[in-house]
Amino acid sequence: MIDNRPLSPHLSIHKKVLTAVFSITHRMTGIGLSIGSILISIWFLLISLGPEYFFYFEMISQNILFKLVLLIWTIGIFYHLFNGCRKLYWSFGIGMDLKTVYTSGYIVIVLTYYLL
Amino acid sequence: MKNYALKWVLQRITATIMIPLTFWFIYSAISISKMGYDEINTFFNSYINSILFYVMMISMLLHSKLGLQTIVDDYVTSKKISKNIKRVLNINAYILMILITIFIVRNIL
Repeated sequence: MIDNRPLSPHLSIHKKVLTAVFSITHRMTGIGLSIGSILISIWFLLISLGPEYFFYFEMISQNILFKLVLLIWTIGIFYHLFNGCRKLYWSFGIGMDLKTVYTSGYIVIVLTYYLL
Repeated sequence: MKNYALKWVLQRITATIMIPLTFWFIYSAISISKMGYDEINTFFNSYINSILFYVMMISMLLHSKLGLQTIVDDYVTSKKISKNIKRVLNINAYILMILITIFIVRNIL
């Protein structure tokens, strides 16, 4: 398979600038949310299997650890959502200069913080 | 599918679909998690809830599949391993999509 897609720069050769941290956090939350989407599917599998299986879910959801994971997951969703919006308008070539990139990055953090 | 431009566009389309849906999804997921079994079934008997949920889940699975495959492309150097991981991701996404479809169809009918 010949594939000539330009690859993203690898972490080890990147200087740790804020924009790179934003980018890799986007990817890491993306991976986390993908695992979350599998868990959501399992949740709905449990619901459709019937009340006796649903009991397992109710048992797990009482746990404080479950609520903590849910909280982290919600933070991840909001971060990914707002940073994704940035990436969407970048796709049209808007707001690509360095100053705007930094400003919108800070806006993402502030929005994520306040929506909790 | 080897067409990367098409994948790129699809990734953006699913993202745009999910922007408004995410807020609804989080809100309803939190309320569902407090419901009992019967209440959840009434929630999904509504067509609007079911359809919104279905669109959200399918876009989410597609979006995450495309995103993860891009990450694999970027960081896994061995062609053979990357091909296999991508295959697993494909199969996983399709299985979950079929599962969600069965769930929604069963609840609506």
